[in-house]
Amino acid sequence: MTPAGSRKAAGLLQAFSPNKILSRSATNIIVATQVVVFLLIWAFASFKVLPKPGEVFASIGDLWTNQGLGQELLSSLSLNFEAVLISAVLSIGLAYLTVLPFFRPLVAAIGKGRFLSMAGFTLVFTLLVGGGHPLKLSLLVFAMTVFFVTSMASVVAEIPKADFDYARTLRMKEWRVVWEVVVLGTVDKAFEVLRQNAAIGWMMLTMVEGIYRGEGGIGALLLNQQKFFKMSEVFGIQIIILIVGLCQDLIIGAVRRFVCPYATLTLERK
Amino acid sequence: MLREKIAYDVRECLLSVKGVNLNLGGRPILRDVNFEVHNLYRPGMLQGQVVGLLGPSGMGKTQLFRILAGLNPPDSGHVLIGDPPVPVAAGMVGVVAQHYPLLHHRTILGNLVVAGRQAGQPAKAAETEAQRLLEVFGLKEQGEKYPVQLSGGQRQRAAIAQQFMCSNQLMLMDEPFSGLDPLALARMCQFIKDIAQTDEHKTFVIVTHDIASAIEVCDTLMVLGRDKGPDGHFIPGAKIQQTVDLIARGLAWHTGISRTPEFHAAVNEVKDLFAHL
Repeated sequence: MTPAGSRKAAGLLQAFSPNKILSRSATNIIVATQVVVFLLIWAFASFKVLPKPGEVFASIGDLWTNQGLGQELLSSLSLNFEAVLISAVLSIGLAYLTVLPFFRPLVAAIGKGRFLSMAGFTLVFTLLVGGGHPLKLSLLVFAMTVFFVTSMASVVAEIPKADFDYARTLRMKEWRVVWEVVVLGTVDKAFEVLRQNAAIGWMMLTMVEGIYRGEGGIGALLLNQQKFFKMSEVFGIQIIILIVGLCQDLIIGAVRRFVCPYATLTLERK
Repeated sequence: MLREKIAYDVRECLLSVKGVNLNLGGRPILRDVNFEVHNLYRPGMLQGQVVGLLGPSGMGKTQLFRILAGLNPPDSGHVLIGDPPVPVAAGMVGVVAQHYPLLHHRTILGNLVVAGRQAGQPAKAAETEAQRLLEVFGLKEQGEKYPVQLSGGQRQRAAIAQQFMCSNQLMLMDEPFSGLDPLALARMCQFIKDIAQTDEHKTFVIVTHDIASAIEVCDTLMVLGRDKGPDGHFIPGAKIQQTVDLIARGLAWHTGISRTPEFHAAVNEVKDLFAHL
């Protein structure tokens, strides 16, 4: 083996040692290998219900050209974006409000809403906002907010007392302490919480779009395919949702790195 | 070794701690703590004050530090600073905590500027002063970096510079010698001595349990500890047990003092005192 080959092999072996940082090329080799292994397992799996990769990718083409996948995706993207934006504003606002003791029980109570079933709220929300888009949006916002507010309130609650005291020693009044320590000091964490909770939106989307299918959406399309046991189409739509979700993750991560460049400077795995 | 006697005057009181008592959870932590720090005037030169507040662990040093910083009020007694004296409040005294906190979301220059703005300086003046201090503290090249990008020593200096931006002449330091290697320790001691000589009213109060380093940089030591009752048991609550005038002993304001027998004798004396607190 050539010296370069030996180095590459040694680099790959590091993947089995704890807490090692791999080079980009070694990481790419590992990812490519895992994808190939996954595709091989998928292609040669003997489960009858599992469509083959070729069938799934063909179905994506069919969904795109004949069943308006692009249109449905756009509708879901817009709904999800709207819901993420509203729930982010609500949740971050509520979490920051916990600096005022008056709001802590209220915010804690909203967070406890994550134990409740959304199905039980469908009727209530229908009566409150009517059907259609407002119903889907309100259900999605509710479902995301109860998780988002819990994570964000926890970020605020876990700020050490020493950080507050330190800001006070800089002659900051209490509202300035809130701005500097609670708001600016947690922006990077807020982005991380947003990244995690925005993913919940895609999980909830299918259910919400299933409740009111008139406006379409990728969730409605998925449920329609499932109803007729079109497994290739179901898997195709899932792959599209996964790709869109990953893109959303990457965009939020990129915005976080741009807005908070300090957040990843000392991470071992950047 | 015979060292020349250094002439100085004791002038106005800069820090006065009177009858400070503190109980936590019903347990006395501090009991009638009293001391004063005066402006020591040396003719022909700028000489600030460096006072060491020493004591074994668990003697309430951190609680006293918080009271001196105006972060916590004592149960009784008071802390007055300046001339004319005013009760201390958070922000009036520079506070350099043990782990050298900085605003992690701001650059070093941003950290200094925000401190200057808090002290009421206009934006332009704050930036000019921040740039000057960065140069004085050897951090000119680090201005655009974030706190996480600094070494431990740079972070220490940045934290001190930030406090200089917004506080008066009194600076409290909590365990500034903790966790430093010998070279960094020597640099830290020299740094405090140098800064103390930038202004006659510049006053450092250093809370530490590092006896040798404290004797190296301070002009006065105050040893915090508990009294013993007639039965030999400790009475809960610490107070100043002894004040060591290092100027009178010829141990302050001289160079190379740490190599002298008098220095080692003083270290051993305070160590022995610790054993009985």
